Amino acid sequence: MAATAQKRSAWSVIWDYLTTVDHKKIAILYLMGGGFFFLLGGLEAMLIRIQLAVPNNDFLSAGMFNQVITMHGTTMIFLAAMPLLIAFMNAVVPLQIGARDVAFPFLNALGFWVFFFGGVFLNLSWFLGGAPDAGWTSYASLAIDSPGHGVDFYALGLQITGAGTLMTGINFVTTIITMRAPGMTFMRMPLMTWTTLVAAVLIVFAFPPLTIALFLLIFDRMFGSNFFIVEAGGNTIIWEHFFWIFGHPEVYILILPAFGIFSEIFSIFARKRLFGYSSMVFATVLIGFFGFMVWAHHMFTTGLGATANAIFGVATMAIAIPTGIKIFNWILTIWGGSIKFTTPMLYALAFIPSFTMGGVTGIMLATVPADYQFHDTYFVVAHFHYVIVGGTVFAILAGLHLYWPLMFNTMLNERLGKWTFWLFFTGFHLTFLIQHWLGLWGMPRRVFTYLDGQGYNLANMVSTIGAVLMAVATLILAYNIVMTIVRNERVGKDPWGDGRTLEWSLPLPVPYYNFAQIPLIRGLDAYQIEKEENNGEMIPSEPLDDFHMPNNSFIPFVMSFGLFVTGFGALYFASGKDWAINAVSNMPVHDWALYVLIAGLAITFISMGVRSWKDDLGYYVKKEELERDLAALEEERGAN
Amino acid sequence: MAELNQKPLTDVQLKQRKLERKIEMRHHVTSFSLMIFLTFAAFAMVALELDPLIITAAVIVMALVQVILQFYYFMHMKDKGHGFIRLFMLVGMYFAIAFVLCYVLIVWIGLPIGSV
Ligand code: HEM
Ligand SMILES: [Cu+2]
Repeated sequence: MAATAQKRSAWSVIWDYLTTVDHKKIAILYLMGGGFFFLLGGLEAMLIRIQLAVPNNDFLSAGMFNQVITMHGTTMIFLAAMPLLIAFMNAVVPLQIGARDVAFPFLNALGFWVFFFGGVFLNLSWFLGGAPDAGWTSYASLAIDSPGHGVDFYALGLQITGAGTLMTGINFVTTIITMRAPGMTFMRMPLMTWTTLVAAVLIVFAFPPLTIALFLLIFDRMFGSNFFIVEAGGNTIIWEHFFWIFGHPEVYILILPAFGIFSEIFSIFARKRLFGYSSMVFATVLIGFFGFMVWAHHMFTTGLGATANAIFGVATMAIAIPTGIKIFNWILTIWGGSIKFTTPMLYALAFIPSFTMGGVTGIMLATVPADYQFHDTYFVVAHFHYVIVGGTVFAILAGLHLYWPLMFNTMLNERLGKWTFWLFFTGFHLTFLIQHWLGLWGMPRRVFTYLDGQGYNLANMVSTIGAVLMAVATLILAYNIVMTIVRNERVGKDPWGDGRTLEWSLPLPVPYYNFAQIPLIRGLDAYQIEKEENNGEMIPSEPLDDFHMPNNSFIPFVMSFGLFVTGFGALYFASGKDWAINAVSNMPVHDWALYVLIAGLAITFISMGVRSWKDDLGYYVKKEELERDLAALEEERGAN
Repeated sequence: MAELNQKPLTDVQLKQRKLERKIEMRHHVTSFSLMIFLTFAAFAMVALELDPLIITAAVIVMALVQVILQFYYFMHMKDKGHGFIRLFMLVGMYFAIAFVLCYVLIVWIGLPIGSV
């Protein structure tokens, strides 16, 4: 690779990333963007735990506490967990199905930049008069009342990032359905691809309700409509339904790709074919379908009535069945395998009991009469952290170690990785296990402090100590990443030695066109089959020839920037207007708001126009170049 | 990403194509005139000041027919290779109807379901 790895100026690298449409580079962008917001959300979590460490604390004021918990939840779900999973989808899925890129590379870049600008917009609220403070669920009764522009930042910021996520969802559905290599039938797709497909479908169906809900909120707060204004005949419960019709599928969007990553890890490091592949696929699809029928389990205490509660309660419990199928399949995959305890495998092993505990408390919560007791206490906090941290975050950390060589062709240090794992694992259980009891003892969630003598002191202190351990683990991970980048020890093809699926059959670093020749897929675990039967060489499905690739483009960045500007215009539009809701009608008037709004939309629409009317035909990768690259690889192999 | 693989058509193929286009065109024109007629019927019913209940029911049914015509004849859902699209639309429609039903029952009518 010496020929292509010439020194490039910093600016040319930055420009490359600003304009890239390559899924591998977009994956790195998502990893950096999501990683940044993950650190930010983690910082907010530490502030929460410091505030709650001792009774009657005034480290954060009540108002500030509300802003911090709202931003913690919103950031972690929308700006950290989902983008980090999308990073792995981008890095892995096209390689795993034998494609040269995703179906719509331009849209992929646009999705990233829209997400990024939306996230920045949301977080600028800290500096522009205060962050949103109505909780990550932003129930309308609170959100309409919340003074200042905080909730406007929430509504507009999520609207913008949500658009980016929706684009990415559409992109992955199309990619997986239409761009699989010859021979890769649906029942030969690796589980990571399957779970990505189902999660992407969930995105396509679940985000539109959120979009509608956010528009209703935006119209109420910024343009004077009355959807949620009870005095004017509105109804705040509508928000709750909309939000949870989105919200419950959203938690499956978070967990399904995690299931995918763990399925890969189990079969790689137990060195066995995944047990019960077809039942895994079936369970994944079933979970996706059921995910839409259970949203009202978040609203048992709103007064839906006994019949509705019973229906939704039973439907919710039904989801435990496909989830249970998966758990047993993973256990049987490990069973009798020759296990390698690498860092990713440690996370995967720890995931099974941790996530199962979250599932069990989920069933407890779905029991309606019991939920009247649990609802809005720390028991719920414990439940969703067990599933989200024990599932999604473990998967992100495991995936980071597993796929790091594929993305950066170096290996993260295993010793430091194991330190991170043990500290994070211990810290996680220390923090959240005891919160189940706090909830049962009656400690309400989202309240900024508690009194001395209620019996909450010790448990809260334990919880805070656990959080410190997780913070230390994260710092070690950061150190590990920096050291790995500095050392820059390159690894070659199939760095874990036991790769089974197509992505591990590629040379590292992966060529920008991925596959010189699209391979022929002869079964599940395509690469493993060729290791057993063809000396680890994939069989090409096409002759070596020119092929077409898309050009880079700066337009996605500009288009997203336009939406960012539009956001500010919409946000300040209602300030000080007498028709506006009380929350903003006594703020200073900003006459420029309308012009900013128009200017932002103009930027976006003009760049859309440029994209539509200016032909961009891409370019061809020439056969000669491919031959040169293949010869270089051959030579390298000879030298080893 | 595929190459454009253009060979000149033989006479027979050309004829076949033309015939297919002609049938397609006839389908289009028929469904289009049907849609115009349905729209006209809807307006006519309102102009005749029939019972609002009848009008509402009829308009909803006619709208459904129009939607189906639109999807199948104008947006090519009847053609081959649209299996996934059909699956997605049916699933989406199923969810949407379930959601709307829930909204009507427990938000709009507002009575807890058990109490009626
Ligand atoms: C067996 C599977 C599951 C069941 C039966 C279940 C059930 C429930 C129920 C009934 C609630 C509402 C509790 C209340 O507010 O009183 C809840 C809350 C929650 N669950 Fe689950 N759950 C399951 C899996 C998951 C998974 C896999 C995730 C995410 C990866 C998740 C994330 C959440 C979150 C974030 C909340 C709290 C939302 C909030 O009020 O802020 N759950 N769950
Ligand atoms: Cu839920």
